[in-house]
Parts: sequence; C-alpha cells; structure tokens
Amino acid sequence: MNSLKTNITGLAFGAMFGGVLAAGSLHEYDTIHNMLKLDEFYVFGFMGSAIVIATIGLGILESRNTKTSFGGTIVLQRSDIKANHLKGGVIFGSGWAIAGTCPAPVLVMLTSGVFLSLIVIAGIFIGLSLSNKQAPAGFGDGEHRIVDQAVERA
Amino acid sequence: MPDKMFFGAMLPQQADWYILGPILGVITVCFFLMMNQPLGASGAYIHTMNHVRRAGHRAAWRVWYFAGLALGGCVVTQFLQESKGLRIGFDSFRDAAPLWIMVPAIFIGGILIGYGAKLGGGCTSGHGICGTAQRSKSSIAATAAFMTSAILTTGSIRLISGGRL
Repeated sequence: MNSLKTNITGLAFGAMFGGVLAAGSLHEYDTIHNMLKLDEFYVFGFMGSAIVIATIGLGILESRNTKTSFGGTIVLQRSDIKANHLKGGVIFGSGWAIAGTCPAPVLVMLTSGVFLSLIVIAGIFIGLSLSNKQAPAGFGDGEHRIVDQAVERA
Repeated sequence: MPDKMFFGAMLPQQADWYILGPILGVITVCFFLMMNQPLGASGAYIHTMNHVRRAGHRAAWRVWYFAGLALGGCVVTQFLQESKGLRIGFDSFRDAAPLWIMVPAIFIGGILIGYGAKLGGGCTSGHGICGTAQRSKSSIAATAAFMTSAILTTGSIRLISGGRL
C-alpha cells in the first residue's frame, strides 16, 4: 500500500488543478456564463488545448505500455455510449449553465471568498446522493473508477 | 509591495488560455502517469461524501484531492493573483435578479449538476477533459450533450431575463 504517497499525490494534483482553474478565473460565474453565451472564446481555448495535449500525452503513454507509479501498467478506459451518458450530460449541462460553475471550480469559488457558492456545493452533494436506478452501478462506468483496483493492487 | 518580494511577478486576474490549457493537459497526463486514474472532480465529491458517511466505495486520496482543489484555489486567489481580495462571484446574476430568485436558482443548478454528473458518469473534468483525452466514445458523447445543453440553457436564461443576464 502506498496510501501516504497516493494521498499526497491526490492533494498535490488537486492543488495544481485548483490553482490552474483559479489562474484562469474559471471559478467566476462570468467566465463560464460568457463562454456559454458564445461571447468569449477563452474557456473553449482552455479546455480544447488541455484536451489536445492530454490526448497526445496519453496516446504516447498507452502506446508504450508505460508502468505508472502506483497503478500498474497504464489502462485507458473507452466505454460505449449509453442513454445515461446523454441524459446525464443534458441534465448536467443545464445545471452548469444555471449555476455558472461546476464541481471543481465551485470549490475554488468558495476559497476565493464567495460564500454563496456553498449553496451550489450543497446542491451538488444532494444531487449526487439522490438515488438513481438509471445510474451505472457505483459511479461511472469508465471515466471514474469507483473501486481503485489498480491502485489497491500496487 | 511585500508580496512582490515573496512571489516575484504576480499572476494576472486571468492568465492566457494558451498557457493554462496546455499546463492542465500536462497535469492530466502526469496524474495518469502516477495513479493510472482520471482526474475527475465529481468522483472526488462522491468519495468525500462516502468517507463522511463511512459507507460505500471510497479512496482516501480522492478526499485529499477534493481538499487540494480548495487549497490550490485558495493559494492562487488569495496570495498569487494581483487581483487578490477582488471577487466577482455571482455579482452579475445578483444585478440581474433579486436574491430570492438567485439563491433557489443556483441551488437547483447545483442539484442538476450533481444528479447529471451521477447519471452521466462524469462532469466537465472527468468526461470533458480526461474522458475525451482517453478517446472514450461515452465521454465524447456526454461532453457534446452537456455543451449543447448548457449553451441552449444559457440562451433560454437570456430570453427569460430579457437579456439582463
């Protein structure tokens, strides 16, 4: 078990991700709202360039069967499209537009000193805990691995 | 300015996307390189909730990741940005609508975010960045669905608010 190491890794990468979101003002309602109004290109460029770099990087890691530090040989997950992905996406998108924030940026919004964001955070926790027969067993059928088998094997 | 002596140049309120986007891409790849896991935020919420309830699947590192998001945001917004202390938050929403509309709206928005992320198996980070970068069909479909839905919802909000939002 590398629980101390994996915990520190989680904290460090959370801090880096949160820091990057904050540096881009992605935690501000206006940033998200102006993107979704199609007034500003900023977030599209931000997400698009992140996806391009990550796609290339993960492709290289996969082609070389890279051994990860704590999770064994790298495995990318590619699940097929099911109705729940589309339904969930539509519901998530409407909430994203109304609140002007999503699960990671809202935590940055809170630490930037906007306490109204606690209302959104409470809503997210309630939404996630609503029982949902259509949702995949556990959480996510590919993108979020609920049982960290790879890490637990290490 | 003592802060400048500590940190050198301060970050602007919004650094350029073509610097931050690629950095986020590299962070995503490095995280896979270490943990063989996607860097998804809604999963961190679930694990944190399960940890508090002491029930269900939970990995401690995801709770630390949840805390890290807040920590990184705190360090940058409170100490590293030249606009520190300046916050916009929901100001434009508050200018356009009274508080008794705004508070329930963002609460319902939060519930929709949580419910949709659970049903869809991911959010903007899990599906939008990590999933599409893994070339997962389901993530690409979910991302297309939430982008379309969010743009249409924002259009509807503009119509309902008479263009004030």
